Amino acid sequence: MIAVAGNPNVGKTSLFNVLTGSRHQVGNYSGVTVERVEGRLAARFGGNETTTLIDLPGMYSLTACSEDEAVAFRTLAATGDAAPDGVLLVLDASNLARNLYLAMQVLEQGAPCVVALNMADVATAAGLPADPDALSRELGVPVVVTNARTGEGAQAIADALRTLVADRPRIVAVGGDAFARVSEAMPPATSQARARWLVTTAAAGQLELASAVEQDALRPIDADTWAQAARELIVARYAEVDRLLQIVGHVEELVDKAPAMTASQRIDVVLTHRLFGILVFVGVMGLIFISIFAWADPVMGLIEDGMGAVSELVSDALGPGLLTELLTDGVIAGVGNVVVFVPQIALLFLFLGLLDDSGYLARAAFLLDRVMSRLGLHGRAFIPLLSGYACAIPAIMGTRTISSVKDRIVTILMIPFMSCSARLPIYALIIGALFVDRDGESSGVDRGLVLLGMYLLSTVSALVMGFIYKRTILRSPTPPLVLELPPYRMPRLSNTLLMTYDRVKDFLRSAGTMILAMTIVLWAVLSFPREDTGAGQGGPTVVANSYGGRAAQSLEPVLAPIGQDWRVGVGIIGSFAAREVLVSTMGLVYGLEADDDDPVQLREAMRDAKNDDGTPRYTPLSGLALMVFFVYACQCMSTLAVVRRETRTWRWPIFMFVSMTSIAYVAALLVFQVGRALGYG
Amino acid sequence: MPEPLSRLRVADAGVVTAVEGEGSMSVRLLEMGFVPGTRVEVVKIAPLGDPLELRVRGYHVSLRRAEAAKVVVKRA
Repeated sequence: MIAVAGNPNVGKTSLFNVLTGSRHQVGNYSGVTVERVEGRLAARFGGNETTTLIDLPGMYSLTACSEDEAVAFRTLAATGDAAPDGVLLVLDASNLARNLYLAMQVLEQGAPCVVALNMADVATAAGLPADPDALSRELGVPVVVTNARTGEGAQAIADALRTLVADRPRIVAVGGDAFARVSEAMPPATSQARARWLVTTAAAGQLELASAVEQDALRPIDADTWAQAARELIVARYAEVDRLLQIVGHVEELVDKAPAMTASQRIDVVLTHRLFGILVFVGVMGLIFISIFAWADPVMGLIEDGMGAVSELVSDALGPGLLTELLTDGVIAGVGNVVVFVPQIALLFLFLGLLDDSGYLARAAFLLDRVMSRLGLHGRAFIPLLSGYACAIPAIMGTRTISSVKDRIVTILMIPFMSCSARLPIYALIIGALFVDRDGESSGVDRGLVLLGMYLLSTVSALVMGFIYKRTILRSPTPPLVLELPPYRMPRLSNTLLMTYDRVKDFLRSAGTMILAMTIVLWAVLSFPREDTGAGQGGPTVVANSYGGRAAQSLEPVLAPIGQDWRVGVGIIGSFAAREVLVSTMGLVYGLEADDDDPVQLREAMRDAKNDDGTPRYTPLSGLALMVFFVYACQCMSTLAVVRRETRTWRWPIFMFVSMTSIAYVAALLVFQVGRALGYG
Repeated sequence: MPEPLSRLRVADAGVVTAVEGEGSMSVRLLEMGFVPGTRVEVVKIAPLGDPLELRVRGYHVSLRRAEAAKVVVKRA
């Protein structure tokens, strides 16, 4: 296995794509939420079945300040079978002054290494010479000039990787008392590379990542000594970097001017301008939002129509019966429930990829950090949260850009509170049915205002819940910014498409199977037992007698205080497949064919429904309570399946479901009871 | 006279004399290149007044004022 390491924004993933082609495996590093992408060296470079490349997370250092870096270090420093056969270290030739620091750390590890000197063309254009021979001589490893955009140098890299030679660790001498003192305190047989990693990691307050033996040996050392030792070590490494820069001809005055940034600074005159910068930002976010909200819609409609057509074909071919229902309402509907998310996921990742590749994502975080840091979150949490208004599924997958685990989970927990597009048909049904008088005219309450109210409620709730989680169960300091503003580059569509393809494939495989299984279970719950099959396919009697229907009926004592009856209860159970399914399930209960988009008959049926004593079954107040319930309730198994995929544990999806349902119930209870006490409904 | 980097204004430059404090933030700042003797320049301040855009070691990095306050510089 070859580990591909490098700073962020150096073209590491581009080079990885060139070397591996388009077949990647996306997964997670064991036990953590960090994404792991691996691929095989492409055959055209002489790769075979055994040469696997792992694209490590982009990092500036191996010191374990974040989970990304901890994972990268573990992979690079692994011993025995897990030890990498080699390291491909990608350096940005136009910014060796910072890139070489990571090189110092990687070469300390002693794994056979090949250096790709990427973006040499940018460096040369900026007046910084790229001298691979001098660098190779100094570093003691092969250095190949590459251009990930054109594929230049890829063959040479592949050749070098095939003839890797075991190397001795390249250790930079460190002077200084504190470093000497802590080095002596290390347990015997600690390698120099390990000792150095322990110094910076302990100084960063992460000594708990060390082994038990190491912790015992090192615990007596005080924070001051660690800080001093780390300073001595880092200064020594940078002194060596400066020496190398002199040798390759990167003179200090030139480096200080950041020549590779000259063009970007002209662009930033507009893009981070106090007025125009914010206008552009609002425009870009608006574009992302509209695309996920609206552009994906026709494609999703096509998918739904397609699934409908397949269902019809199947039921025509097989005739009515249990197997037909299992196939149409269980399997085909389940596949539809999975595939329907693909357009939104693809669009979001496409935008995230292009924005990240171009360098704009960093500017967006720069513009927004003041606001997001008030919440205790990183600027990167903004796009996922915004996407939550369209759909929680892509939004939750989009939190992969947040590197702190706790902050990522806070963001994941906030997202389902955002009123997603699947809630809109529910709001529309209830407002259309109950907030109008008999002729369909407004009943005095502005319907638009009610709708706006739901969106405001959901937004405020998401922010409040984030604030609470951040300060209680997921307490952690506001993540540091320390954000590189990389040079703007023309984003590469092929890279982004490949990344998007990988993520979609991963979604279909991991979350998709779960969603499919849950759809079938849900179908069974609403279709069995089948005592009365005479009512035909999915008739009202079947639903009422089903396990789900019976459960809802026995839950009436719980539903009544929030102003609902068992019929709505069945709808709530059915809506677990996807919130908008409430409409069609309610339609089934009333024995109506209910169109999601314009359920005229169902609206009328709900408006006209009477209790036994002749009072209306549903009132504006009970409708409001139901809408508030849906603002909060996590009525979406796909969300839970994706949370499970992203957090790699059932703990968070279960917590999310229980907490959100409890909040939803209490909120609906408050609305209905307080409303009644005040004489409404 | 040495002063915190956060006090510099746009287009001001200084040379790092120290990174103060302990813990992950100071390790991170040092590893990102804010080692003593390095020249730092304030390029821009974000529209909302925070964070700062800085130029150091041939690249641009953004730090919040609170983070930049840990870096002590001597004006160039």
